[in-house]
Amino acid sequence: MDKPPHSRHWSGRIAWVTARKITQGLALLGFTVLIITTGMDRAAYTLANFPIRLSPLAMLASLICSRTFLSGMTVSLLLIFSSLVVGRAWCGWLCPLGTILEIFQFRKTKKDTRIPERMRAAKYGFLIVILLSAIFSNLTLLIFDPLTIFTRTMTLTILPVFDQLFTAIEKLFVSIPFLSNAVYRFDLLIRPVILPVKPAVFQYAILTGFFFVAIILLNLLAERFWCRYLCPLGAFLGLFSRLSLFKRRVKDDCAKCHLCEVHCPTGTIDPQKDYSSDPAECTLCMNCLRDCPKKALSFSPTFSRAPRREYDPGRRTLLNSLLVSVTLSALLSIEWIRKYPRNHFLRPPGAARDAFSSACIRCGLCMKVCPTGGLQVDLSQSGIEAAGTPILVPRLGYCQFSCNACGQICPVGAIPLLDLKEKQNAVIGKAYIEHDRCIAWSDHQTCIVCEEMCPLPQKAITLDSGKFVAPDGSSITISLPVVNREMCIGCGICENKCPVAGEAAIRVYTT
Amino acid sequence: MKKVSRRDFLHLMGIGIGSVTAAHLISGCEPDIPPPTVPPEPSLTPLQPLPTSTPTPQPTPTNTIQPTSVENPYLVVTHGEDPEQHIRQGIKALGGMERFMKSGADVIIKPNICVPYHTYEYAATTNPWIVGTLVKVCLEAGAKRVRVMDFPFGGTAKDSYRKSGIEEQVKAAGGEMEIMLPLKYKEYDIPNAVSLNQTSVYEDILTTDLLIDVPIAKNHGLAILTLGLKNLMGTIQDRGAIHNDFDNRLVDLATLVRPHLTIIDAMRTLMANGPTGGNLSDVKIQNTVIFSQDTVAADSFATSLFGLLPQHLGYLVNAANRGLGRLDYQNVKIEEFNING
Repeated sequence: MDKPPHSRHWSGRIAWVTARKITQGLALLGFTVLIITTGMDRAAYTLANFPIRLSPLAMLASLICSRTFLSGMTVSLLLIFSSLVVGRAWCGWLCPLGTILEIFQFRKTKKDTRIPERMRAAKYGFLIVILLSAIFSNLTLLIFDPLTIFTRTMTLTILPVFDQLFTAIEKLFVSIPFLSNAVYRFDLLIRPVILPVKPAVFQYAILTGFFFVAIILLNLLAERFWCRYLCPLGAFLGLFSRLSLFKRRVKDDCAKCHLCEVHCPTGTIDPQKDYSSDPAECTLCMNCLRDCPKKALSFSPTFSRAPRREYDPGRRTLLNSLLVSVTLSALLSIEWIRKYPRNHFLRPPGAARDAFSSACIRCGLCMKVCPTGGLQVDLSQSGIEAAGTPILVPRLGYCQFSCNACGQICPVGAIPLLDLKEKQNAVIGKAYIEHDRCIAWSDHQTCIVCEEMCPLPQKAITLDSGKFVAPDGSSITISLPVVNREMCIGCGICENKCPVAGEAAIRVYTT
Repeated sequence: MKKVSRRDFLHLMGIGIGSVTAAHLISGCEPDIPPPTVPPEPSLTPLQPLPTSTPTPQPTPTNTIQPTSVENPYLVVTHGEDPEQHIRQGIKALGGMERFMKSGADVIIKPNICVPYHTYEYAATTNPWIVGTLVKVCLEAGAKRVRVMDFPFGGTAKDSYRKSGIEEQVKAAGGEMEIMLPLKYKEYDIPNAVSLNQTSVYEDILTTDLLIDVPIAKNHGLAILTLGLKNLMGTIQDRGAIHNDFDNRLVDLATLVRPHLTIIDAMRTLMANGPTGGNLSDVKIQNTVIFSQDTVAADSFATSLFGLLPQHLGYLVNAANRGLGRLDYQNVKIEEFNING
């Protein structure tokens, strides 16, 4: 069988695109497997938070804000170096969010004229606002870092939804008699490796999901809208990419056929400028290399700085961003919650209460590793400023006495790495019994669950005995739980296990 | 090959989903679903309180248990330091593991692995070598497989299995640690219940050929002591329901989940601040293990190690009154000895 005449010299260039797609698939799979297995077994936490530490944006903002250098942060230099060599190849070849946006690509028309090129400046503005805010001790906008978006959405929304589907399908098949044993065996084999024993439940999971879907829906306006106009990490890497070694170059034999422009996912190939592109936008996807009939393109090493574009950040962007940052800080400081702090609002063990919002990069890994599901995402308990940070919600899960997983996984030490002894003495809050609702104190019935559960070696909840007169006139003696607040560390297992419906009759409050 | 059109595809999908749903509905809609059959009653002998002073233990042979001679002791109590010898010599004194299982049997051992907080020295969890040796003894007697499981009330099973040291010993002995996943719990009716009419139990606990209850003897705020009967709470899903009307509900559960053999680990006993513990000063080394087919009798004997009487534990009194076993352990044939070697 004869090969088409041109297949030979085309194959090499098609291979680049195939290689990219395979790399993207493997990278997405890798990031997904990593987040799924994170916290399922107490091992390799250093590897588990590696993807977050890759982000130079999150690491730099954290460094500016906390003024603490952690050696783990140096991993992010990988991305900076890579952008000095191959530009924004990270965006086109590895970024998990980028790959997802490429999968959900609704729009096939490539050049979108409705969105002006100046819009590309937005991401630089965004980047500068994030970094300036970090100087003002605010990290709220790190919820827009693509790596935190990916980790957070996987943890809070996608995996729990998958868990529900997985369980529903298993339940369906387990009811078929001849299949039930196979399903049990499958469940026993798979679930402990990839899912928690009990399906995880997260507050604001739906909101997190909407946020993610919204980013995908922006693809309706233009292909990879997020990457082109908004992504602050893309902007960060873009700044370095202007100096990158491998840049796209158009040779003189270009036939001006438009093919490269049509298939460019970032729309940076400009017919007005001899089909040249901006290395700060190009993701090295190699589509143009594949499509060029004249082989008029190359990605050969060049030591040069990319020419300035109209949307590149300048003094004006800086000033505007400064204005936005200052306004933002001012706005956040007028939040009413600052005058009226909630007292049923708990931070992970060992975390500073006041400064926590200025230390946490909102990646959500701690919520993934918390074995009881007690670490939940906060939206506004301590103000909008702290959106995306973890709080302990004892009714959903308690701080397990012999676990320090959140401190181990935290990539920036916002939750300090405490050894078990230290963690077991770290005070999260103090438990208070609401006598009016307590089964023993109020109904005079036997219930000592909180005492039983208290994990402290000397029990911070002890049993007193109380004499009461029963309705029939007889005298009854009941064991009454009493909290020794000197000892209580506020782990919240008492609140979690309290059999009273709704709010527990014993609650952990901050002191 | 013929191309499948979208319409055809939807039709096929419809038929597929329809049949699965139908199967689901049919299997779910049987009239008056009878509660899954409870396995044959294990030989919890004298079901009537025995007033006679001459102990007449009559283990009733069931299809899983070989006929036994009348000479086997009702209770075996061993003293000594080596957990392995405790199990080997204790089981031998009781008549050998072959008395409780046939070759090829499926065995479940239910130790107490309540929390992942401390290692076994703190006496909150069953001695790992006792569980490990038990696995070995069952396998030597020809068991097809031996599974060890518990559902901890704090932390995850994975962490608890590891921290207790039980996982290591069980795996070394050739047994399996099974995580009790929610899928396998089934709602069971408890006939003749006083207070707890229904509860969700891990199915295999009720269907296995041999269920061995291996609690550790320790202090507990509500139960006063947690022993063999209390250890059964690890087999159900909703433990909260038991805490109310505890002395009756625990016995209701014990009428449903009936271990064929109870072995109480009292090598190290937690005397205060149970069931979680954490102080070595609360741990008393007693180097004792109690064996019996009668959980109530084994529990009753264990009270003596804490300076108590069986009558001090409300649930034990209720269990004896309802014919689940004997409170008067003094009146049964006890073989108590020091292990050698």
